[in-house]
This record gives sequence, structure tokens and C-alpha cells, in this order.
Amino acid sequence: MIKIPTKVLLVDDEKDFIEMLSLRLTEVGEKITVAYSGQEALDTLEKADIDVVILDIKMPGMDGIETLREIKKQFPLVEVIMLTGHGSTETAVEGMKLGAFDYLMKPADFDDLLLKLEGARKRKDEQQERIRKAEAKLLVRKSGGIFS
Amino acid sequence: MKNIRLLLVDDEDNFRQTLAKRLAKKGIPPEQAENGEKALSILEKKEMDVVVLDVKMPGMDGIEVLRHIKKKHPGTEIIFLTGHAATQDGVDGIKRGAFDYLSKPVEFEHLLSKIKQAYDKVVREEEKLREAEFRKKMRQQMATTEKLASLGTLAAGVAHEINNPLAIINESAGWLKLIINRAEMAQMPRKQDFEMALNKIETGVDRAKRITHQLLGFAKKDDSVLVEINFRDMANEAAQLVHREATNKDIEIVQEIEPDIGTIWSDPYQLRQVLINLLTNAIHATGSGGKITIMIEALNGEINLTVQDNGQGIPTENLDKIFEPFFSTKPPGKGTGLGLFVTRGIVEKLCGTIEVKSRLGHGTRFCIRLPRYCEIKEDLDQDERIPFLDNIAKQKGSTQ
Repeated sequence: MIKIPTKVLLVDDEKDFIEMLSLRLTEVGEKITVAYSGQEALDTLEKADIDVVILDIKMPGMDGIETLREIKKQFPLVEVIMLTGHGSTETAVEGMKLGAFDYLMKPADFDDLLLKLEGARKRKDEQQERIRKAEAKLLVRKSGGIFS
Repeated sequence: MKNIRLLLVDDEDNFRQTLAKRLAKKGIPPEQAENGEKALSILEKKEMDVVVLDVKMPGMDGIEVLRHIKKKHPGTEIIFLTGHAATQDGVDGIKRGAFDYLSKPVEFEHLLSKIKQAYDKVVREEEKLREAEFRKKMRQQMATTEKLASLGTLAAGVAHEINNPLAIINESAGWLKLIINRAEMAQMPRKQDFEMALNKIETGVDRAKRITHQLLGFAKKDDSVLVEINFRDMANEAAQLVHREATNKDIEIVQEIEPDIGTIWSDPYQLRQVLINLLTNAIHATGSGGKITIMIEALNGEINLTVQDNGQGIPTENLDKIFEPFFSTKPPGKGTGLGLFVTRGIVEKLCGTIEVKSRLGHGTRFCIRLPRYCEIKEDLDQDERIPFLDNIAKQKGSTQ
């Protein structure tokens, strides 16, 4: 079975971490884009087609929660997994209330990460599928209106 | 006034016995001694509050006896009886620490009131001493709490900073593992060495991760929930969770829970964590065939939760250190040295106190006191040490 790569955007100010995680995820067949700040992430989302954002909570400048808010506002279909070096599940929970799919604690267990990535991707696909169907229905109704 | 312990010292038998009778009638039956040596030997056996002491006696005189008493029994007050017009003796006595002096012939009511005054002073001094001791203990406890709180803040900060490089190591090792397991790498020279070393890196990262997560878990913001907890269920649950480990070492876990112990309002997860930490420690400290007892009893509206083992015990020099982070007597990699540190943090957050008693070779007993209801505090951060004072106030209240 050929794996369909998930298009992932990694956002963290820790360059070494981003680099290594992106190599590892590429190795298992995902398609990775990286950004080193919240603003850069938003700029990237403007241009690139992304399924899931893996987002560090603690970043200088625009922090993870703020970035998440912006992502959900501008790109509501993109799924976000929060990444935290902090034991504070509270921030992670806040993130999930704001629409993040899930969260992971750094250093994350790789299998766990893959599982959550798959879950997020699935939720996005399903949502897109529902939207597509709804649009189709709408179209049928509209075109029905025309023909009747 | 009945509980004044009084010693009457005079070589004149008639005078002494008459006085003793009258004092007994007033509810203060005194011990009697006919000379200084006898008086001191009585004091050896029995502490006295007040000594009424004749100055002029054959053998050891009053001043000499006073010196001995003040040295050996500083809490005892002395009233001198001096001969008629021998004021100098009385003044000497007071200079040397007597409470007061009376000249013979003694007016009984006067003596009685002096005895009572002396006794009041004894009581006051004892109270002062107790208070000083309490203050000292409180200062020590506060110093410990502050030390632990700042250590905790520091440790959490370190943990947080360590997590990032740890994640880098983790991803790097994981990536290399993926690479060497690819089909085209099957013939890689010394592949097994690489695999072995990479596995070691991953185990090491896991170990470090356990530590950092535990530390951050302790420092984490408050997300506790208050529910009504049934002790029997919770003790059962905790015992169940460590059951296998205990059985492996042939250790028996006994529960002694008061039948009508009732419930308390607290955080069930944290409380269970406390119980499991203590039970796990007890299992590690107890040899094969040992016994661990969980005791839960109600006391003055509070709950006493005790975990006792008959294991190896904790050496006295380690007793002050066991609640510090990273203090562990287990071999490297076996214990994080955070169990009791976290336990203490949780107990204090739940408005409780934890104490330890241990005897080397006989076992250890951890005693936790919890109120039936507790408004759970915010995390023990920088300036959040005041709640501990409340605990002290409570302790003070319960000891009085």
C-alpha cells in the first residue's frame, strides 16, 4: 500500500529540533515544511497547502496559543497539534478548547506523534469530505431549482 | 492549686511537720527533708515546682543547697526561710536565684501566697520555654518549606530547559534508527554496533524524560478537582495497583481503616498518587516476607493516613533529606529521587502535613494529616508560601 503523505508544517523556534524532526518525519514518508516563528507559519499557510500544523506553545514573539488562534481564524480546516516542552497541560487544554486537535509533550514519543498526526489528518479529510458533499447537495438543490 | 509539687526543707522537725500539716490542709501536701542532702536526693527522684528552704541547717547549708538545685533543676523555684533579722542571708539567696525569702517566724498566709506566686512563675517559665521551642520548630519548618519551594522552582526551570535539547537528541537518534533499518542499509558494516548505541541513547533519553516530566508535573498549574472521596475504596485501589510488586516480594499489605471513617473532599488523583508513592517506597524498603500497614483514622475533625512498613528504616542523617528533590538511595536509573518531594508538594497543596518517623532496622512510618475539606491552593510558586503558615497555625491550634 502506498502511503499518502500528510503535508505537515512544523513550527518551533528550536532550529535543531525542527531539522531533526523534519528529517525523521520525511524518512517515514510525510511531506514536511518548516517555520521558525508564528508569523512565518501564517505566511507559509498562505502559500502552501498544509494538512496538519505541529506547533510549539512556547515561542518568542507570537506564542503558540496566539498563532493557533490566528490559524483557526484564517485557515479553519487546518488541524493543529500543540507541542509543549512545558508540563503545563493547562495551556494544552486551552489550545484544544481553541480548536487544536491534540497535544504532545516534548520530547514526544514518535509512535504517539505519528498516531496523532494520522488522527488529525483523518479529521481534516473527513471534514473536507463533508464539505464537499454538502456543496454537492447544495449544487443539486440549486440546479434542481433551475430545472423545475 | 492541688498540683503544686512542693518540698519543705528544715532541720527543726516540729516546725517542719506543723507547717506540712497546715499546707496539706490547704491542698498542697509537701514532701519533707530534714537536711540539704536529703532534699537533693528527693529532687533526684522527683521534679519539684517549689522548694521552701531553711538557710541555717547543719551540714550543707541553704545557700549551698540552692546552688545545687539551680544547677541541676533550673525550672524549680526556691523560697528561703531565714532566721529572725538575718536579712543578709535572704538577700544573698535572691542574688543567687531564689524566688524570695521570708523571715522566721513565718506567717502562714504569707508563705502560702509566696508559694503560689513561685508556682505561677514556674508555670509561666514552662510556657515560655514551650513557646520558644514551638517557634524554633516553626522557623525550621518554614526554612525547609522555603528551601523546597525554591528548589522546586529551580528544578522545574531546569527540567523545562532540558526538554528541548532532549527532544533534539530524541529525534536525531530516532531518525538514524529509521535510516539504518532501511532495506538498502541491510549490508551496512557494524550495523549492530550502531543499533546498540542508538538504543542506549533512546533509553537514556527516556530516563531523562521521566525525570523532567515528573518535575514539571509537580510544578504544573493547578487543575485539581475536588470530589468526595471514600477512603476504603481509595486504599483498596492503591493497594491493588501495587499488589503485583508486593506479591513478588512476598509482602503483605494490611489495611486498618476505622469502620465509620466517612469521606473527605479532596483531589482523588493526587491523593491516590500520594498513597501509591508511599506504598511503592515501602515495598522497596521492605524485605521479602515483610508487612506494610495502611492505617486511616479520624482525629479532631482531621484524617490521619499512615503508611507503615517493617523494612530497613531510614538512617537519621537522611531523614531531613528525603523530601528534597533528587535525593535517592536507589541505584542510578532506579529512582528519580522525586517521589517524596512530589508527595510532600501534593500533601501541602491539599492543605495537609506529612511527617516521617523511622528506626533503622525496624521500619518507617509516614503520617499524613488531611482536613476533611480543603480549598485547594494555587501551585506553590514563587510567592505562594503563605498557605504553609496556615498549616502551622492549625498545628498550633491542635496541640493546645
